[in-house]
Amino acid sequence: MNDPSTVTTTRDGLEPEIDPVPKGVWQRLRHTEVWQSVFRHPQLDTPRGRALQSFSNVFLHVYPVKVPSRVLRLRYSWRLGYIATVLFTILLVTGIYLMFFYTPSVTSAYGDMQELRTDVGFGQLIRNVHRWSAHLMVLVVVLHLVRVFYAGAYKRPRQFNWVLGMGLLVITLAFSFTGYLLPWDQLSYWAVTVGTNLVGYVPVFGGILSDLLLGGPQIGQATLRRFYTLHVAVLPLALALVLMIHIWRVRKDGFAVHRGSSGAFSEEATQRPGATDPATDQPVDMEVDGTKRVRLLGVVDRESVTAEERLTDDSVFTWPHLLVRHVVVGLGVVATVLALGVAFSAPLRSIANPNLTPEPAKAPWYFVGLQELLSHFDPLVAGILVPAGVLITLMLLPYVDRNPATESRNRKFAIAAFSAVLLIAVTLTVIGALFRGPGWTFVAPWDHSYLEL
Amino acid sequence: MAFTRRRLLRNGWGIGAGLLTFAAGWTSWELLRPLAANGAGGKISLGDPSNYADGTATFVNEGRLWVVNAGGELFALSQKCPHLGCRVPFCESSGRFECPCHGSVFDIGGEWIAGPSPRGMDRHPLSLESGVLFVDTGASEDGPDHGSKNYLSPAKGPACIESA
Repeated sequence: MNDPSTVTTTRDGLEPEIDPVPKGVWQRLRHTEVWQSVFRHPQLDTPRGRALQSFSNVFLHVYPVKVPSRVLRLRYSWRLGYIATVLFTILLVTGIYLMFFYTPSVTSAYGDMQELRTDVGFGQLIRNVHRWSAHLMVLVVVLHLVRVFYAGAYKRPRQFNWVLGMGLLVITLAFSFTGYLLPWDQLSYWAVTVGTNLVGYVPVFGGILSDLLLGGPQIGQATLRRFYTLHVAVLPLALALVLMIHIWRVRKDGFAVHRGSSGAFSEEATQRPGATDPATDQPVDMEVDGTKRVRLLGVVDRESVTAEERLTDDSVFTWPHLLVRHVVVGLGVVATVLALGVAFSAPLRSIANPNLTPEPAKAPWYFVGLQELLSHFDPLVAGILVPAGVLITLMLLPYVDRNPATESRNRKFAIAAFSAVLLIAVTLTVIGALFRGPGWTFVAPWDHSYLEL
Repeated sequence: MAFTRRRLLRNGWGIGAGLLTFAAGWTSWELLRPLAANGAGGKISLGDPSNYADGTATFVNEGRLWVVNAGGELFALSQKCPHLGCRVPFCESSGRFECPCHGSVFDIGGEWIAGPSPRGMDRHPLSLESGVLFVDTGASEDGPDHGSKNYLSPAKGPACIESA
C-alpha cells in the first residue's frame, strides 16, 4: 500500500505517482537502484499498478491479471486443483529434506528410516508430512477430476486440458507408488509386489514391462534403485512439465461457465447490438476496403471468452482478491498436513522379507479396488481390460461426449454412467481396504482392521 | 506429388527424427533391461537329487523356489503365486501350497486346486549334470492350467490358512 502522503501527481490521469523525494528508510530502500532492478514495477494500489505487478512478476504471471468474480467463490472449483499443486510443493520440499538422509540400497534403506525416527531432529515429522501429503494428493487429484466432470468443464475448448489432467493423475499415482517401496519394510515390499504383478497381466508385453520396472525377476536392489530414480528425478520433471502446460491452458482456455441445453453461445449472440469500435467509431466486424476487420478477440478462441464476461465486466483483479484466497487455502493445507503429521506417524513395519508374506498383503489403497476386482474376475479382465478401458474412456471423454451442455439436467446419461463407475470404484476400494483380512476373507473392520496406508 | 526441395527437407527431417527416436529407444532398452545373474535369474546347483524325498517340499532360498518330489517326479516351483506374486508357503499339515494373500491352493506338484490364481505354480527347468541337479532360474514356464490333476491327493490334515 502507498502512503497517501507520498502521492503528489497523476500520470495519464490514471494513477498517482510515488513521491520522487523518498521519506523514511523503507521509501529510501525502494528508491535504490538495486531494489528497482529487482522489482521493476512500482507498488501502486491502482488498476494499472496491479496489472503492471502481474505482468512484470514471474510468479504472479502464472495468474491472469483479472478473473471473473465467480472464480472467487469456493464452490466454483473447491480450489481442488490449487490444493493439489500446494500438496505437490509440500512433497517437493519435504522430499528434498528426506533425500539428505536416504540411500536407495536394500542394506541401508530400512536403517535410514529408523535413523530418521530416532536420530534426526524433526525427521519423523517430515516423513509423516511427506506420507500424508502423498495420500492426500492422490485423493485431491481424483476429487478434482470428479469435480471437473460434474461441472462439465472438460468440454470444448478445454478438451485437451482434461487429457493433460488425466496424465497428471497417472503421474501422481506413479509418484505415490514408486515412493511406497522406498522405506523397504514389509508393508512397502509386499504392497509393491502385488501392485507390480498386475503389470504382468498386460498381454504380450507384460513380462517385458514387469522386467523393466523391477530390473529383474523379482523386487530387489535394481528395483529399489529404479523406483528411487523415477521418484526423485523422472516423475518430478514429468509432473512439473505437464502441470505447467495444464495451468497455462487454464488461462488460455478461459474459465469454465455454465451452458444451458443448446450449449451454444456464438460471438453474434453475445455481442451488444450496435456495438462500435471506440477507436474508429465504426461498427465492429465491418468490412473495410473489402477486408474483414479482425478484433483482438479474433485470435482468442471465442468460447474461451464467455458471454457473461463480454456483456458485463464483472472481473476482479487477481491480486489481491484471488491471491489472498489462495494464500489462505494454502496455509490451511499446510496446517492440515502438519496436524496429520503430528497426530499420526507414517507406518514402518519390520524390514522387507521376501520369504515371509504378511497376511493379508494389500496393494496401496488406490489400487486395492483393482485387487478386490481381481479376486472375482479373470486377471486379464480385472487387471488390464477394466482399468485400461476406464482410463482410455476417460481420456477420450471430451471427444466422445458431443453434448455441449454443462448443466447436469441436460446431460443425464453422462452423469449417470460416470456416477455408476465412480460408485463401483469406491465400493471396491472400501471393501478391499476395510473388509478384507488374511486369505482375502471377509473381515468386518470393527472386528479387526487390516487397513494399511 | 512433385519432388521438391521442401518435400525432400521435410521427409529428411522426418526420417532423421525417426532414426534418432529408434536410437534413443534402443540405447534406453540396452541400459535398462535386466541382466541375468547368478542366484535368482541364473543357474544354481541343487545337489544330489536323492536329497529330495517323495512328498516333500524344500525351499531353496538362493533361487527363491521350492524343490518338490511329487510321486517320484521332481519339480522346481517358483515361490511366487501366479495370481499377484505373493510368496506361497508349503503347509506341512495339509501337504499343499497355500497362498496367504488371496487364498489360492496348489497340490504338491504346484497344480491349481482353488482360489483366484489363473494357473498352477510356475516351474523352472531342471537338469542333471554328472549326478548333480541344476535349476535354471533365468528360465520359467507357466504352471499347468486349471483342471490338471496329476498329483492331486486328499489333504493330509488341516489347512494353514482359513480360506483353504
